[in-house]
Amino acid sequence: MTGPRLVRPATLDAALAVLAEEPDARCLAGGATLVAMMNAGLAEPGVLVALDGIAELRGITVADDGRVRIGAMTRHRETAADMRLAGGHAVVRQAASVIANAVVRNMGTMGGSIAFFDPAADYPPALVAADAEIELASAAATRRLAAREFFVDWYTTAIEPGEMVTAIHLPPAGTQPSIYRKHARTSGDYAIASLALVLDGAGARVAVGACGPVPLRSDAAEAVLAGRLADHDAVAEAAALLAAAADPVDDVRGSADYRRRLIPRLLQAAISELLDTREAA
Amino acid sequence: MIDDRQDLLLQVNGARRRVSAEGSDTLLTVLRDQLGLTGAKRGCNQGVCGSCTVEVDGWPVRGCLSLAAACEGHEIVTIEGTGRDPVMAVLQRQFVVRGAVQCGFCTPGMLISARRLLQDQPRPDAEAVQAALSGNICRCTGYRKIIDAVLAAAEELAQ
Amino acid sequence: MTDPKGIAVGLSIPKFENQEKVLGEARYIADLQRANVLHAAILGSPVPHARIRGYDVSKALAAPGVVAVLTGDDVPDGRMGAFIKDEHALAKGKVLYVGEPVAAVAAETEAQARAACRLIEVDYDELPAVLSPEDGLAAGAPILHEHLADYVKVFDAGSGGNVASRTRFEEGDVDRAWTECDVIVEGEYTTQAQAHVAIEPCGALAEYEAGGRITLWSANQSVFRVQANVCESLNLPMTKLRCLTPRVGGGFGNKMEAHIQPIVVALALKCRRNVRMILTREEDFEIVRARHPFRIRMKTGAKKDGTLVAREIEVLLDCGAFADDSPGVLGYSLLMSPGPYRIPHRRAHGQLVYTNKLRFGAFRGFGQPQVSFAGEQQIDEIAGRLGIDPIEMRRRNMLREGDAWFVGQQVASNGLAACIDAVEKASGWRDRPKATRHGTKRRALGMSVTAHISGLLGTGAIVRVLEDGTVVLNTGATDIGQGSDTVLTQICAEALQLPVDKVSVASPDTDGSPYNWGTTASRVTYTAGRAVVGAARAVEAKLKQHASEMLECGVGDLELRAGGRVGIVGVPGAEVSFAAISGRAHWAVGGPIVGEHTLVFDQMTHDPKRAVAIGLPFARIGVFSFGAVVVEVEIDEVTGKTRVVEAWSAADVGRAINPQLVEVQLEGAFVQGMGLALFEEMVWDGPRLANPSLMDYKVPTSRDAPYAIHSIIVEAPEPDGPFGAKGAGEIGINVIPSAIANAVAAGTGHRHHHLPLTSERVLDGLIEAEAAA
Repeated sequence: MTGPRLVRPATLDAALAVLAEEPDARCLAGGATLVAMMNAGLAEPGVLVALDGIAELRGITVADDGRVRIGAMTRHRETAADMRLAGGHAVVRQAASVIANAVVRNMGTMGGSIAFFDPAADYPPALVAADAEIELASAAATRRLAAREFFVDWYTTAIEPGEMVTAIHLPPAGTQPSIYRKHARTSGDYAIASLALVLDGAGARVAVGACGPVPLRSDAAEAVLAGRLADHDAVAEAAALLAAAADPVDDVRGSADYRRRLIPRLLQAAISELLDTREAA
Repeated sequence: MIDDRQDLLLQVNGARRRVSAEGSDTLLTVLRDQLGLTGAKRGCNQGVCGSCTVEVDGWPVRGCLSLAAACEGHEIVTIEGTGRDPVMAVLQRQFVVRGAVQCGFCTPGMLISARRLLQDQPRPDAEAVQAALSGNICRCTGYRKIIDAVLAAAEELAQ
Repeated sequence: MTDPKGIAVGLSIPKFENQEKVLGEARYIADLQRANVLHAAILGSPVPHARIRGYDVSKALAAPGVVAVLTGDDVPDGRMGAFIKDEHALAKGKVLYVGEPVAAVAAETEAQARAACRLIEVDYDELPAVLSPEDGLAAGAPILHEHLADYVKVFDAGSGGNVASRTRFEEGDVDRAWTECDVIVEGEYTTQAQAHVAIEPCGALAEYEAGGRITLWSANQSVFRVQANVCESLNLPMTKLRCLTPRVGGGFGNKMEAHIQPIVVALALKCRRNVRMILTREEDFEIVRARHPFRIRMKTGAKKDGTLVAREIEVLLDCGAFADDSPGVLGYSLLMSPGPYRIPHRRAHGQLVYTNKLRFGAFRGFGQPQVSFAGEQQIDEIAGRLGIDPIEMRRRNMLREGDAWFVGQQVASNGLAACIDAVEKASGWRDRPKATRHGTKRRALGMSVTAHISGLLGTGAIVRVLEDGTVVLNTGATDIGQGSDTVLTQICAEALQLPVDKVSVASPDTDGSPYNWGTTASRVTYTAGRAVVGAARAVEAKLKQHASEMLECGVGDLELRAGGRVGIVGVPGAEVSFAAISGRAHWAVGGPIVGEHTLVFDQMTHDPKRAVAIGLPFARIGVFSFGAVVVEVEIDEVTGKTRVVEAWSAADVGRAINPQLVEVQLEGAFVQGMGLALFEEMVWDGPRLANPSLMDYKVPTSRDAPYAIHSIIVEAPEPDGPFGAKGAGEIGINVIPSAIANAVAAGTGHRHHHLPLTSERVLDGLIEAEAAA
């Protein structure tokens, strides 16, 4: 019944030291998810490591070569408003802009969101489609992991004990457009299904959200799309591959069957929209 | 019973306030139960309804999702502390005269969100108001009169 | 009735308490602070149906801060219920649904109370559960209420087995009428459970007074129903309980009957201390009440020219574990099921069946959105088959002034035609295509019409003139945020020709207020308004008696003058102020001026010469309001997602005492009805509610609702209404699911029989219709 002890380190090293020493320590990022769980009695951390005072975890930097680093404590509001996230990076900005609502976007952070990893959340498919890498640090080491490897299973990531997410890295993206489309019951709800699409050369990278334990990406589907984005049959074939690979569940937002049927429809609509955008540009 | 309460010094509505809180106490709990600031309401305690919306460092946040202990060193403003702000005064007046208030339980949170919108975007259109207020649920009004009140406040402030 | 001179009535005066609400100063139940208060929490049943063999509360009692534990063994054998007295203060002997309060703890802090609840051990002898009305009717079904026959019932309910009540109405010769029809449509429809989600969760605070009397504050729609329910369930004389109300954070039926008030009072009596309990949002979902799921079979027939001939409806209602307002909902929904039409042959029957779920009860519309979903779609279907425009179809068949409603009551005022005209014109219906397609979006129009009542049950008002000539109005009606304090003040001010700021409103108090059944059934403006006018008339008579003596003239020569004066007709200077009169009354002659008036609506619902009515829960129901709506929806072909783009909602409210407050009723009702139509749904996973949170149960946000909701006020004055007014609270919701369903059918070619119209269902319908075409 006694609450957690809150520590507020000023540096990343200090935070990692606490994580190394306290086995039941958890990171407190924006609080949007963790505090809700504590209020519901679903989380009872012994030690909370508040990350909001650590400057090196904040903000978005764009390198000259187009690489982007998004600090783990960057709020959804900041990500949603950063117009440097354009072209192939726009998918991440768009995902940020449809999370929950304006007030929650003032609180929630990218690191906190992906560390909790709800498969119906918006960042996971966007980051997978963007070929993002997740930077993880512990007192002992720092490593980077492809987003595809980072999301392991329902509410499970590759974060090891003593580790935390410190940043998200996006590789340079071309000027080709990208898009994130969420289908949800109401504004700000978690997705029934979502789709992140990044045009890449003559093909595209596609990740589907809320249709399985992890964001769904299919190399086979992307191979079919390569060079044939405007070909309805190719899109249908790719969509069928994605739908077959999906592993959705029934829940209060929609049935598994509906989710599977949505995949081709979302893919076709997103590709049409992006091709129109590209032509217009 | 073990007393795990911790003394905190919070900056609330421009004044330093000493409170004592458990680690799991939220800002909303401390504001309501210890400081008697009951303008922020508990409608869901899950961050969905928006009735608990207050400002931290100028940004509307969920009082129920903010741990009190993590708020030390930050500026907290509640509906009770917005009295001298001309933007808020105009919003409040427009909410009153345009019938944007029904049961009133969502109203303080709604006003906090609306004030931030007008600070960021002095002349929003209806769609922008809808977007800015989508984290504040109102079950009574159907939103129309709330949106009209915010638009009218923007117009009044622009004059 | 005095001619309204417009000093107060008809003006959009901002609600009086808006100012305190925008400042964050309004006090709701959770904002009340008391010294020496204990905090209470409840333990909910983990099983849907069981006998309680016993309790072990020793660990809970020993837990830190705990003062008392309350179980079914501690509460008296009293039973409460609006129609069937079937409910104890908390589970006693049996539990009947998952979450049902089986025990409660009072402790020094809320956290201690909640922690101690988890230490209570209850020994359950589990029984098979009834999870649907169909299961409840099956031969050999487990029986929830074994002693149902012995329960007190306030009307002839026809109860038996798991059937809580039965209703049957019949007029004309339905069986023969089908042979006269050129077109007949029939279908089966289902509707879902909707949660009220008043944004303030329920709560109560009992103050223990010396001598054992309790003062009870709670979130409520009627202090008098709170008093009755608590006293009936705890076998308390009403003199022992005073009920009051703070500001109420919305109520759409959920705060009308009891929630946790009996438990909080029982704890206060046990502890002899102040006790408070505020439900969490999850508890509010799980243990208060919700809108009934309906299963409806309906059949409607018409002649080639569109003339309606016959309609039959059969409904099966899920009652949940306790009857609550359900018998009323069954009877009312059947009474209203023909819609506002002339249909010579009609039959309606239905059953209400106990199940091991949360009780279902009153929710804005009181069963009408459900039956309208079937009925108004059938009107569109017939129109479609006959090639008649849907609005024209309704016009041909609509009820006219002086016609009788189903089972016999005469309808007095009737603004239905004007409502239809208004929405037709405002929406541009005639000149617009009813369905269009742009890219992957389709747009379509739909419409629907309805009627609703206002009038039920007992009401009173007391108007007192203070020494300075100002007035205090006391009606006992709880203002739940809709603005009745303001509206009743406007009525009082108009009747006495006073400015509204010369009238104050007393907060409802069972010790001091005249009885008011409740803020429910669209009734306060009409019934309490009538009482206010009557009380004001009594005051006026006394004022004039004094004035005639002071001015030395006949009473008949006097008139009320705006601003609180009585003067001689035609003689401008000859007048006395209310203050002068009241001073005289207080200190010299006659005594302080008090006017009172009470009434109970007295027109009979049923005319036995005209119709058969068995199991009618409301013998005298009220006067009729009317409404019509047109909606424009947009359907996304990719996902099936439907959103409302624009809406025109008209209501005949007799006289809009405060037009702004009528508009916001229509707007709020629209959005709540839109949630019901499109995505709100309580889902059960076996016996357990699967989505008792705002994360999982979604209500419309400002982005989901259309900005362009146009409310249109129609005024067909009700002869005996206060300044012609009748109800406005529910009329706007009845039509929404049916109008949206009609629009979706126009846009997709598929007619939906199941609510809500989720994107999944709409997409399925779209694909099915395309395949068929």
